Amino acid sequence: MSAPFLWIIFPIGMGALLLLVGRERAVSVLGGLTTGALSLLALLIPIDTALLLGTASFKLQGTLSVLGRSFTLLPAHGLLLAILFGLAALWFFGAESLGLSRRLIPLSMMILGLLVASIAVQPFIFAALLIEIASLLAVPMLLTPNNKPGRGLVRFVIYQTLAMPFILFAGWLLTSIETSPGDVALTNAATSMLGIGFALLLAFFPLNVWIPMLFDEAPPYLAGFLMWLLPLVTTLFAMGFLDKYSFLRGSEQLLTALRFSGILMILASGLWSTFERHLGRLMGYAVIAETGFLLIGLSLANADGVQAVFMQMIPRGVVFAVWAYALTIIAAHADSLRFYDIQGALRVVPLASMAVIAAGLSAAGLPLLADFPARLILLQELATKSPTLLAAVMLGLLGMLVGVVRTVSAMAAAPAEAAWEAHEETTQRIWLGAGILALFVLGVLPQIINPLLKNLPALFSRLGG
Amino acid sequence: MFILLPALLLLITAAALATLQVFQPAFRYAWLIASAGALLAWLSVWLWLPVMPSAFSADAYLGGARFLADSISWPYALSLTTLALAVIITSVVRPNFPNLFSWAGTFTLSGLGLLAVLANGPITLAFAWAALDLSELAAQLRPAGALRSTERTVIGFGARLLSVLLLLWAAIYGKTFSFETSTAQSGLLFIIAAALRLGVLPAQISSAPESSMRGGFSASLRLVSAAASLILLARVPSASADLPLAPFLLLITAATGLYAAFLWMRAPDEISGRPFWIIALASLAVAASLRGNPLGSLAWGCALLLAGGALFLASVHNNILARGLALVGAWGLSALPFSVSAIGWESGTPAHILTWLSLPALVLAQALLTLGFIRHALRPANPSALEAQPIWSRNLYPIGIGFLLTTLILLGLIGWDGARALGSLPSALTAGAASAALYWLTPRLRWLNPSSARAISTPTLNAPLDTLQQFFGGIYRGTGRLIDIVSAALEGEGGILWTLLFLVLFLALLTPETR
Repeated sequence: MSAPFLWIIFPIGMGALLLLVGRERAVSVLGGLTTGALSLLALLIPIDTALLLGTASFKLQGTLSVLGRSFTLLPAHGLLLAILFGLAALWFFGAESLGLSRRLIPLSMMILGLLVASIAVQPFIFAALLIEIASLLAVPMLLTPNNKPGRGLVRFVIYQTLAMPFILFAGWLLTSIETSPGDVALTNAATSMLGIGFALLLAFFPLNVWIPMLFDEAPPYLAGFLMWLLPLVTTLFAMGFLDKYSFLRGSEQLLTALRFSGILMILASGLWSTFERHLGRLMGYAVIAETGFLLIGLSLANADGVQAVFMQMIPRGVVFAVWAYALTIIAAHADSLRFYDIQGALRVVPLASMAVIAAGLSAAGLPLLADFPARLILLQELATKSPTLLAAVMLGLLGMLVGVVRTVSAMAAAPAEAAWEAHEETTQRIWLGAGILALFVLGVLPQIINPLLKNLPALFSRLGG
Repeated sequence: MFILLPALLLLITAAALATLQVFQPAFRYAWLIASAGALLAWLSVWLWLPVMPSAFSADAYLGGARFLADSISWPYALSLTTLALAVIITSVVRPNFPNLFSWAGTFTLSGLGLLAVLANGPITLAFAWAALDLSELAAQLRPAGALRSTERTVIGFGARLLSVLLLLWAAIYGKTFSFETSTAQSGLLFIIAAALRLGVLPAQISSAPESSMRGGFSASLRLVSAAASLILLARVPSASADLPLAPFLLLITAATGLYAAFLWMRAPDEISGRPFWIIALASLAVAASLRGNPLGSLAWGCALLLAGGALFLASVHNNILARGLALVGAWGLSALPFSVSAIGWESGTPAHILTWLSLPALVLAQALLTLGFIRHALRPANPSALEAQPIWSRNLYPIGIGFLLTTLILLGLIGWDGARALGSLPSALTAGAASAALYWLTPRLRWLNPSSARAISTPTLNAPLDTLQQFFGGIYRGTGRLIDIVSAALEGEGGILWTLLFLVLFLALLTPETR
């Protein structure tokens, strides 16, 4: 048995099998249990280490060769896999109470497997292809049955597809650089190609317009899952480049560009959030800002930056899950997610409304909530670079806060005689209550996730060390 | 850990009361449990005295949440626990007695307020503020009635969130993680953050959250929130007042204070005037910090909590009690020697023309506040007689009010290092004389008379602020339109071309020339 088989091929195969299952509940239980079990296995079984089971010994091989390429999972990947599959299990279990299991789970399991493959593949340039396949698999998931694809979905496919040749071309140039490292023109060309590729993949400003559009068109829970996972894995892919090539790590211009792009994304998200009148799109802007924070972490190119990127992983998953879950419930009780249509939502779906508010405040970096600890580290690091950059990020966060305050205002606006009558189902209330609680626990006691994160920087030893 | 005992006691009692309300709503001894919890918390604050200063650090969180019980946090802690105790004791005369959820809310807010006043660093304080803000929002939106009331709640919430952000910025920018190491620049940002929260800078008079609720919970909601902000003013370094911006802020603060005090004096009753009471006294506290006298802000802050608490909790009328309340409250506000506010007028900054300009406005604000307090104390809005209450309520109720008034007197004598001060007699006497003159003029000048509830927000009074709001509203709408145009371009048919053009421009700017 090899680790790539367990965490790449098995989920892809299981996802394909689940496409044949017709019952929502069965899909949810099977998908949730599978990913949950895979998460536990990743936590318990060390990769490439011999284990003694009584008299027998067992070793989970870290490498699987396919057609001359290899998929390699290192021992340090174990915790990363545990986090990814664990959070995916939460998304999958939650999907059942929203009636979205069949749309989300089968394809998402395949996407998850492919994205894990993109982390493990050698030569790692093939990751671009795997990410592209994962993106294409997301299309049927996001497409509303019997409807034409929306403009957001089309843009998503275009930008993700446009990114691939740039990354592949950059990879080819990087191979040449390995043979002639002193060629400045070549390194500049490779850096630019990579820059364009990742700008498209990670949806730098203004290439990110499709994200809010997607949240406007697709069910927020489906869009939320994709936007939790895809930018995160893409960031890890980008970290791989920085870790491998010292000239990229040492390129002040590239790091500055990353930092500026991150800040621009946060600032633009804040500005757009200030004026947005659609709850789904507001979440889209928060997704963009979150990616901006990942880029700032990346741009630090040091141990603190790597730590900050990993620190965002779990809160990001929980915040987006809670937010998207609550939005889907609100959408089910309103004509649309426009402010005009969700007036008084606080009285109709109070827990879902509170969850949206709490998740929004968390994304805006309010103390007590899940995102704050990682935000604080990044802001402190940024303050050492430049107070102006710090001010720009704080302005972005302020804009996001304004967006949340306007959300509260819209949700609370109801005629005085409107009754308080919660319409969420019991299961939904349990999920929402647990989600809100998790946001606070992660904000107040962030050290509880430290054991999961402490060895992750070893994946990028040159960057994080 | 010992210094967190009062907060823990209050929070545990809150949890117990909420549990009782859910599982045993008919439980007969809930009031006793609430009183015991409040009394224990109150006593445990007194137990700090022999061990002060005493610090506690929760290292589990990043740099560690830091708490400090010292001569600055103690008066506020005592005021808050006294207020909680008084709320429970005076609740015996309220028509909705017993109201366990309301008491649980009071205890929760007071517990969080205690954590805020104990905070010994901006990050810890930001945590406490955030917790208070979310609790307040939940408490205020739950029974929200009219749409305008909801709007005000949301605006207030927004302003407080902004203050949290400002506090964080001050902490991160100034690398200040303990108040003891604050720089002058951070200190000024702290003052602005606290003033923003208190509704002083910019003046949030037209959008001041109002509440028609007379109950103890409503009073706690307003006063605990104020205390959590006021503590920051007492922690700023005196050097912040020497910064060039300080005199300008002082002038704006004085204008806000005067305006709010005028509205307080003219308010038809103490409940509708409550936001103005808080803004006016908070202005005096902010002004004290801006004049290099952070301890002065402590003095005005305690007067705000204790005198205000007694007035807002006094819901039934009794002549003797009303006179006592007016007398002790006016004493607390007088800045006369040995009163709690005696040190309020001291100054630690060199004279500046703007400082001198602001002083008369501040003194006049104090005079108006005192006059308004006496008027509201002697002429309560709800004149149901204490004599109509059952005998046990009749006996208990004055004790609740008395607790607050006694503490107000006590703090002037033993509140902090340097209590029993003579203070600045000229200012105190001028304010006293101005109060007396205004009292004499009130029946003779129509514009000094109490207004109707509607008249408080007349366009004439709020015109300058409304103009300012309209100006910023115009900018907001203009920017919104611009954003809509950019969004339409980027999301429209030609959006891909636009975005790619931006990308190329961005890369062209960043890519080095390689010739």
